[in-house]
Amino acid sequence: MSWRILPESIYESRMAGCALGGALSVACFIPGAVAVVHAPEGCVHQAFSMLHAMINDSDVWIVPEILVSSFGDREVIFGGEDCLSAALDRAAVESPDLIIVVTSCIPETIGDDCGAVCARHLYADRILYVPASGFLGGSAKDGENAVLTALATRSPVAKSVFGTVALIGEKNLEFEADLNYAEVERLLAKLGLRVTVRFCRNGNYATLMQLGSSQCFVLRDERVAAAGKVFGERFGRPVIPEFPRGLSGCFLFLCDVGKACNVPEEKITAAMESETAYQNAMLAKFAGLSGRSVFLGAEPFSGTCAVAREAITRLSMEERSDGFPIRLPFYLPIGTAGVEKMLSLWRGATNHG
Amino acid sequence: MRQIALYGKGGIGKSTTSANLSVAFAEMGLDVMQIGCDPKHDSTRMLMNGRWIPTVLEQMYERKDIAMNDVVFTGFGGTRCVEAGGPEPGIGCAGRGIIATFQLLEKMKALYGDIVIYDVLGDVVCGGFAMPMRDGYAREVYLVTSGELMSLYAANNICKAIARLSQRGTARCRLGGVICNSKNMDNERELVEEFANRIGSNFVQFIPRDKAVQVAEVNRMTVIEYAPISLQAEIYRGLAKTILANEDLRIPKALELDELENLAREYL
Repeated sequence: MSWRILPESIYESRMAGCALGGALSVACFIPGAVAVVHAPEGCVHQAFSMLHAMINDSDVWIVPEILVSSFGDREVIFGGEDCLSAALDRAAVESPDLIIVVTSCIPETIGDDCGAVCARHLYADRILYVPASGFLGGSAKDGENAVLTALATRSPVAKSVFGTVALIGEKNLEFEADLNYAEVERLLAKLGLRVTVRFCRNGNYATLMQLGSSQCFVLRDERVAAAGKVFGERFGRPVIPEFPRGLSGCFLFLCDVGKACNVPEEKITAAMESETAYQNAMLAKFAGLSGRSVFLGAEPFSGTCAVAREAITRLSMEERSDGFPIRLPFYLPIGTAGVEKMLSLWRGATNHG
Repeated sequence: MRQIALYGKGGIGKSTTSANLSVAFAEMGLDVMQIGCDPKHDSTRMLMNGRWIPTVLEQMYERKDIAMNDVVFTGFGGTRCVEAGGPEPGIGCAGRGIIATFQLLEKMKALYGDIVIYDVLGDVVCGGFAMPMRDGYAREVYLVTSGELMSLYAANNICKAIARLSQRGTARCRLGGVICNSKNMDNERELVEEFANRIGSNFVQFIPRDKAVQVAEVNRMTVIEYAPISLQAEIYRGLAKTILANEDLRIPKALELDELENLAREYL
């Protein structure tokens, strides 16, 4: 069957566009901000098409505010600084909270001094220049990190507010982004913590600038580790490397975040006991899967098999090469909710083929 | 149509040689076009009696519809003159400008005549400046050099470009030979002759240093126009005849840097 030979890194290959696409996947999720892309129109069309397709896939109904400088042959020859300046003028007309300038490979290749253009613009104080640089800037992951890092450097270092957590680098194009957020929020609530900043998902500029008051930073996953390192150094706060992976990941997450935020030990213990009961109740709904033999398909995202195998063990299922072939979820299941969703799919598949 | 490109180090005298060659060819009754492929756009100035003609890129920058007479100007002896031009120093991509110029000239069907001379920026710094050698434009390349090491170094680099481009199916450029534009150095002719020999090419002409060149240029003319019966004018006419008769076009073999330095040392 064809699905058995799927490459293991589907997720990475899907997200391995140029840095421009990655930068836009963050920049377009800041209400009140405009992304100015210094690039040819075709280049932006390509990035926007992917963005649009994946946004639709995620049931997010936003139309990103993107302005393109329309870099052409004339700009390649004579330099594109003037057309970037004109694009900034157009962006400034609407008086946005923030203008995020991201570049493609061409202006960086020919040596446009985009930083200087941004610095001398009338709206310089609202302009964030991110030299994404298209392929020169690396992959989509590097583009995401570049925007996150550039934006974080604008956020003042403030006194941390007890009980506050910032989520860093949620995958805006992941169709389960908000479900994953809800799961993390649920777990944090058990510790008496709350998410004050989603950096950057649907939070306006003023909200994002509260980043520095968070007690700890929770990264979505290792994809934004580069930004996480900068955040940790700049603000001197603990950085949790990823959202909880599956069932046991919840306990690790509760423990790590609880300690990072100075939550009392007994409260952490209580949160873990509560989660144990919650997971048991959830697994009880899938008791019908107990004893079933399954065969796991190709792993689309590293770590998914481990999460699935843990669920198999907890439900007294069996993994066998001649077992019922089940498809693993595309994205790694986050927390108990992610596993519940995966088990629902398995039950449907085993019951109905 | 013969398409000839002159390459060499900046300031070595390519434009002077090109312009005098153009006039010499025109005297033979040939229809000649000279295209300056250098952002400093002074290749055809002596043919235009000191006039700086608008460059193709200036016209492209200022207007969308460009007619042939916006970029092709008639100079001394009926020569047709074009300057590619380039962006301001320190901005944009001059190499892309050269490519765009060729595309425009092609589109306008401006590349015609008996002889087209491309006068190209000395160092082939990027693919744009190799454009005259690509895609079936210049089939013959002549290196203009003196006996100075850096001039030979630039000429040697161009040999590398010719050798590389000659591997391609679309590029049919070959090296026609080496022209020595003298700087009055000791053993200069012998050195450049040996350089031509070592790269597997021919020595085409020795152009002695002559004040007539400077005098003609301050009077905004080519030597052939300003001093038509001078010895220097005869040398340019002789060069034109040699090139016209030349059918020995080769793929050069560039020297290693050590070899080049040793060669220069031998003739000090």
